[in-house]
Amino acid sequence: MKEDNDIRPPSLPLRFLRWFCDPAVLEDVEGDLLELYHRRSEHDVKQARRKLTTDVLLLFRPGIIRKFQLPDNSFSMFRNYLTVALRSARRYRGHTALNLLSLIIGIASCMVILLWIQDEMSVDQFHEKKDRIYKVWRNMHQSSGEILTTQGIPQPVVVSLGNDFPEVEDATLIGWDMETIFRMDDEVDYEIGKYASPEFFRIFSYSFLAGNPGTALSDLSSIVISDRIAEKYFGRDWRDGKILGKTITVGSNQKDFQVSGVFEHPGSKSSLEFDWIINAQEYIQQNDWVESWYNGGFAICFTLRENATLQPFQDKILQLINENTNYEADERLFVNHFDDNYLHSNFENGRPSGGRIQYVRILFVIAIFILVIACINFMNLATARSSRRTREIGVRKVLGAQKAALRQQFFVESFIMSITAVVAALLVVAAVLPYFNSISEKELSLNLGDPKLWIGLGVVTLISGLLSGFYPAMLLPSFRTITSLKGHSKQTVGGVRMREGLVVFQFILSILLITATLVVNQQMNYILSKNLGLNKDNVIFTRLDGDLRTQMEVYKSTLQTSPAVESVTATSGNPLSYGRSSGSAQWAGKDPDEEVEINVMSVDEDFVNTMGIELLLGRNFDPQLATDTSNYLINQVAADIIAFEDPIDQDLTLWGQTGKIVGVIKDFHMSSMYEPIAPLIIRNDPSSTFVAFIRTKGDIQQALEAIENAHKELSPGYPFSYEFLDQDFAAAYRTEMTLSKIVRIFAFISILICCLGLFGLSSFSAEQRLKEIGIRKVYGASVMRIITLLSWGYTKLILVALVLAIPLSFYLLRQWLNNFEFRIELGASAFITATVITLLIGAVTVGLKFWQAAITNPVQTLRED
Amino acid sequence: MSRRYLGEFEEIVLLTVAVLDGKGYGIAIKDDIEQRLERKVSVGAMRTALKRLEGKGYLKSELGEPTAKRGGKRKRFFQVTHAGREVLEQVMDARKRLWQAIPYTSIDFKFA
Repeated sequence: MKEDNDIRPPSLPLRFLRWFCDPAVLEDVEGDLLELYHRRSEHDVKQARRKLTTDVLLLFRPGIIRKFQLPDNSFSMFRNYLTVALRSARRYRGHTALNLLSLIIGIASCMVILLWIQDEMSVDQFHEKKDRIYKVWRNMHQSSGEILTTQGIPQPVVVSLGNDFPEVEDATLIGWDMETIFRMDDEVDYEIGKYASPEFFRIFSYSFLAGNPGTALSDLSSIVISDRIAEKYFGRDWRDGKILGKTITVGSNQKDFQVSGVFEHPGSKSSLEFDWIINAQEYIQQNDWVESWYNGGFAICFTLRENATLQPFQDKILQLINENTNYEADERLFVNHFDDNYLHSNFENGRPSGGRIQYVRILFVIAIFILVIACINFMNLATARSSRRTREIGVRKVLGAQKAALRQQFFVESFIMSITAVVAALLVVAAVLPYFNSISEKELSLNLGDPKLWIGLGVVTLISGLLSGFYPAMLLPSFRTITSLKGHSKQTVGGVRMREGLVVFQFILSILLITATLVVNQQMNYILSKNLGLNKDNVIFTRLDGDLRTQMEVYKSTLQTSPAVESVTATSGNPLSYGRSSGSAQWAGKDPDEEVEINVMSVDEDFVNTMGIELLLGRNFDPQLATDTSNYLINQVAADIIAFEDPIDQDLTLWGQTGKIVGVIKDFHMSSMYEPIAPLIIRNDPSSTFVAFIRTKGDIQQALEAIENAHKELSPGYPFSYEFLDQDFAAAYRTEMTLSKIVRIFAFISILICCLGLFGLSSFSAEQRLKEIGIRKVYGASVMRIITLLSWGYTKLILVALVLAIPLSFYLLRQWLNNFEFRIELGASAFITATVITLLIGAVTVGLKFWQAAITNPVQTLRED
Repeated sequence: MSRRYLGEFEEIVLLTVAVLDGKGYGIAIKDDIEQRLERKVSVGAMRTALKRLEGKGYLKSELGEPTAKRGGKRKRFFQVTHAGREVLEQVMDARKRLWQAIPYTSIDFKFA
């Protein structure tokens, strides 16, 4: 450490200056700098040092920098380096292969991850106006202080955007994904699409194959469909141009729509996915409740005019809802860039709190880890190997090679390796991408025309070449010439320490990845097997189509005749992913200013039994009691909010209907595990149910047949489709499952690369100590004894890495788990498993080579001297 | 014309060297500009300007005695050459002609 009162000028910047500065002006410039330094250091030494450094950096400019000239023989020297590099690579084939292999695996993995990241970043980037497209969000300030953020915006907001905000160019409503029935002659199926305003296709750049995007939705009876749907309902020859104006029957009320446009299905490049778009006005006409400031029926996106600024607009829109609802509920609007939403989709207390971006970051870190581990291998193996090259270096020095030239030689060697590795990695990536795509559910491809790819490759080559060449290039030329020439230069203690340090570092990275993989898996299993508050196994659910809803009694009794069906219930939605809520529930003693969003679900009286929900207080709905149709069940969270001493038989008013609370049910999860359980009111209203849940027993196939037959009989003309509740639930965590699979693969790869390095190092040290082993054997040491002796050095390193890595990974993983509202306790088991795995892998790798060395006949190793 | 071109900063450096009349070396020139014109001058910018001016033949220089304050390095004193003097006069001349060409009303804006 430098003392504070050290008044000498810093030497590093001055050395740099002497190196680059034109000798004609060097003396004068340096004199100026020193004079300035002395003057400045009278006030403040530290500042003077800093200023000297900045001055030197500012002097690094054309005009001051001297002309650098390559020596004349540079080309033939370069050729010589190539020859020597190839010779030594060929001479130690095993070594070279090992070295290259780890570098190739490392670079290939890194490339795959970067491709994946690039793909994630490119979502929604294809819209021409993306810089001006914004999405409106609504923050609902609850009286508990919590802020709920939703994309459901009252429909009048879009009207106001059009009338009162001149800076808005176009604004569109975007409905939720809707599954609607399409009919065309014999072809009948459900298709997912959206209701949107006519401006939709002016704002977003979905490419049209037929029709005019600007006007396609102007008519209420128009429909715009994807090329996929066009082909499905109009046949392969829809492209002959006559599709526009053709009629297709859509919806349960069988209305006819005219095709006014066909767009190319955007695929995974777009976060919005849909197969059809119908004018939102069509929906509003049938559902006038959405035309209210109190309901959020649509998402809203808009484009700002090119010269408009966002801030004044933000200020104006903030209180738009409150101004129109007399501040009844504190609901504020804000907007963000539409293309940010794919990666930053989570909001916590009204502020963005990550989303997929977290996975992008995790994988980016893993990519760096893997590359670093691979480069360290290269570095370690090259330095370890250096003892074989000392004679060559000695001879070169004697012949007049300067250190700089020797360094160049090593960099040339490491760059030959890294370029070879990058080219090979490119081939590997091309070969494995299809497999990776099927795992990651992406359509990644190597686009050789993309300049970014080449820049990326260049950077990777540069980094791996520099990293792996750096240490040997600095270390080897600095050996003393005499010792080099003798050919048995002892490894310097510093060199060995450095190598050991790097091995420890590699293992720390690997252990981090192993523990992370284990804990992520544990958490995922926990979520998927957690008691959700209802029994999701053996439940089939299916849509109630056509006349089914009005014939529920017949439907139920038909199904009950099948021995494979246990019970049947109808609800207004999937209880495991439920989001319909209301802020208008009233109860005695409720603070009139209190704002609480409560989920509302409509069910029939078989709901509690069929879903296996526990009734904590009171009773279930009773079909015998006519008055029960206006009564309610609530969950524990709702009971706590309503805060009755005894909630049973208390009055509750919802949507103008007053009834009694007849029972309290145990909480069950209605949304992702990232969020707490919401309060819930259950209405006994079979007329607003849309989905049937059927609990099966025994043969599922038999149950499915029974259900299908019942559907065919009671709602002919509707296609029958079904899903399993547990699978549907698992699908909600698909992102996590996929990503944890990807993380697992790359964690494994990093360990593999680590082991390759360890294997190389141990084979090197076994080779170096062959004579020692021979002598020990002559004196009667056992094979086991020798293996333990040799392995101890590396076991020590792995132990050190474990001691350092475990607290670190504990800390990082706890941070990650904090994202989940419901999470596992971070126990010792993951860390113990990781320790065992690491030690085992390390022992096997090292032991294998040492065992080979230990069983060698000492005669072979000792006869030479 | 283009050969005789003088940048704004170059002009200031050249003028300052003339002001210092043979006693101008790196730091002295920098200090003088900073004091007189109240603007910050980096060693790098000034050094490039000096080098360029010397290359154009507007400045000549000679080495002085080494001093301990400069770590035993010699000072290089600059002087304006005849060509330098000419170019300065040309610049001034050009400015003067431009000032004279400005119509009275345009300068009068202060009183509006």
